[in-house]
Amino acid sequence: MDRRSFLKTLAGGAAVLGLGRTAGLGASPALAQDYPDLVAVRGTSVTAMYDRALEALGGLGRFVGKGAKVLVKPNMGWAVEPSMAANTSPELLSHIIANSLALGASRVSVFDNTCDNWRNAYGKSGLEEAAKAAGATVAPANEEKYFQKVTIPGTSRLGETSFHELFLEADVVINVPVLKHHGGAKMTGALKNLMGAIWDRSNLHWNGLDQCIPELSLYRKPTLNIVEARRVMLTGGPRGHGDSQYLAANMLLASTDPVAVDSASAKILADSGINEPGYIARAAEIGLGQSDLSRLSVQRLTV
Amino acid sequence: MKPKKRFAILKWLRRAISWGLLALLLLALGRPDTFQGTIGVLSSLQFGQLMAGFFSHGEANLIGAFLSMAVLSAIFGRFFCGFICPMGAAMDLAFLARSRIRGHRFAFRPSRAFRLLVPVVLLGLFWLGLTLPFGQIEPYSLMAGPSVLTLLALVLAAFRGRAFCNALCPTGLVLRLISGSPALGLWLDPGTCLGCGACQRVCPASCLDGEGKYIDSGRCLLCLECASACPNGSLRFGRPKGPTGDPGKRRAFLRLAAGGTLAAGAFLTSPELRARALAIPEQAPILPPGALSLAHFNAHCSLCHTCVRACPNLALRPSPSGFTILRDKPVLDAYEGFCQYDCVVCSKVCPTGAIRPLSVEAKRLTKLGLADLDRDECVVVKNGTSCGACAELCPTGAVRMAVGPSGREEPTLDRDYCIGCGACQKACPVRPIAAIVVSGLAVQQTARPPRVLVTEDLTLDEEFPF
Repeated sequence: MDRRSFLKTLAGGAAVLGLGRTAGLGASPALAQDYPDLVAVRGTSVTAMYDRALEALGGLGRFVGKGAKVLVKPNMGWAVEPSMAANTSPELLSHIIANSLALGASRVSVFDNTCDNWRNAYGKSGLEEAAKAAGATVAPANEEKYFQKVTIPGTSRLGETSFHELFLEADVVINVPVLKHHGGAKMTGALKNLMGAIWDRSNLHWNGLDQCIPELSLYRKPTLNIVEARRVMLTGGPRGHGDSQYLAANMLLASTDPVAVDSASAKILADSGINEPGYIARAAEIGLGQSDLSRLSVQRLTV
Repeated sequence: MKPKKRFAILKWLRRAISWGLLALLLLALGRPDTFQGTIGVLSSLQFGQLMAGFFSHGEANLIGAFLSMAVLSAIFGRFFCGFICPMGAAMDLAFLARSRIRGHRFAFRPSRAFRLLVPVVLLGLFWLGLTLPFGQIEPYSLMAGPSVLTLLALVLAAFRGRAFCNALCPTGLVLRLISGSPALGLWLDPGTCLGCGACQRVCPASCLDGEGKYIDSGRCLLCLECASACPNGSLRFGRPKGPTGDPGKRRAFLRLAAGGTLAAGAFLTSPELRARALAIPEQAPILPPGALSLAHFNAHCSLCHTCVRACPNLALRPSPSGFTILRDKPVLDAYEGFCQYDCVVCSKVCPTGAIRPLSVEAKRLTKLGLADLDRDECVVVKNGTSCGACAELCPTGAVRMAVGPSGREEPTLDRDYCIGCGACQKACPVRPIAAIVVSGLAVQQTARPPRVLVTEDLTLDEEFPF
């Protein structure tokens, strides 16, 4: 299925749904109601936690169709070893890629607009090697030519920004950040991870991170957010230093709602005294999702 | 096979080797990420670069390579100029193209002392630690970091062949002195020579006198054009038995002794002492890691800009002033890129030892400069928004976020840990002048090792805190 026909199917489905609603039939129960809004799994194996979380969400097949172009967006911005927990774990990334390909995805791509030199970051994080071995295309994001300018509707600060072409082309975006402390934004999770999908981060720093981070998701929300919160960096983030403190949270969170998943993540950090970042409330305000977890169905599991 | 035919094959072989090396060099410099090793090998064959390393007391391997190349040149003549020099290969292309289009003939020109003036002055200044003029026309530098002079040299070549090599090139002059009477070389047999002049009409170095029936070996670049033009094989390769411009054994020995003494004297005087003679005070830019000091860097750098091409982060720039019509020494521009914490590429490809080889561990502690934080300009303080881009990028933890007088988390700087890599300046969103700016150190120092404190991981108070 190419992108156009996929979009047509989506549009068709939405039209049918809309008709159904006006006819008073309601949404098909299989579409949304059976699945929890947020799944949190505790365990030590990141792949086992992922499998359990996706099982609860109805399987990755709910999001990845045959022939779909999938983008898996990890955090691989830092030229540090996996033990620093500054980047997404290679084993989680390769597991998601393999899962997508097994479901018949036509292409799985991976990129990040890195903070450190991209070759060093792709290499030292172990993510390029893992992604390639799992069958994904690892794309560069180190030059402006890979990015396309778009106008984001409904923003008050950002207006326009340039997204990576693979982010714009993908039928399915699976957002896989690693949860950690962030010196500027306080926390990096699902919403913040989109800063690696755009070209000009400096513009966001200049215009205020709390205002701009949520506005990125106004253009396109990831299809699915999977937050790795196994060993959570509590100080010295996002890069991490030799004296960084960590929290063995041993958790993985998954949701289609980036605000819900960030809200739960913020509670994990709050456990160690880190305040909730300002961008979560702002994201809820502009309608990106639900920050009040009491209003959501949350499934808590252990593997 | 007739000698003419044999030499024609050798001539093409030589052209193929020199053009192949030139093409490989340009390819490698164009894709430095992939061809880093190739750049290292090719740049270490460059006689002028090795000479710069030798006279400024570079690494032992540079000195060894220079001496071996000098001995080989004394035996075989200027094979470097004919086979290896990338600028020479390009100049061959220039005059061959022109003679193909317009028809062109060279003529013998006798050796003239005034043609030594430019290279002698350049070498003298170079020896005194002022490498900028030398670097402007050192042939590898001309090709690796092209400037307007590269173009001029090629235009000159189109009209006058390899005149550059014997009248302007400082590397050529040194090779000329070394190779004045090679043990093996091209020579013209006056017994069989018909005096037809076919050879001198194709000699781009103008070193061959078809009527006087001799070759000036010191100026011969071993291009083999002449031998493949000779109708009856009077040009031979081997132990020269005919006049070669060789002044005679006694004078050759005296010249060798005098040259050797001069070279030894030049080598033995301390490069730091020499550099001080012409030191011009200047504000230190941010130098590449391993440059040691402004004095060391200025005295060694031949301006070839191989490091500029190879820098994976595009942090090294061709000039501190931004003026690039002529070349200048490369410096780190932290508005364009920063020095990646684990990267030592520039120190690996530098052909002169101006950037000394560094281990990754040593590089991480090499202090190139010092950051300066202008709190009043910081967006956290000025706009009251969250930022922290500087602290985010800082690899050593010199810049960290802490609640400051603004009541918000703002950057704090501990310069003991700062290595001057420029990551903070590059990341800072404030422009045109960043709120955190790195200034270079005239003498690179060693930073305090980053703090290491391994604490046990905390655990969650409740199973699910939400």
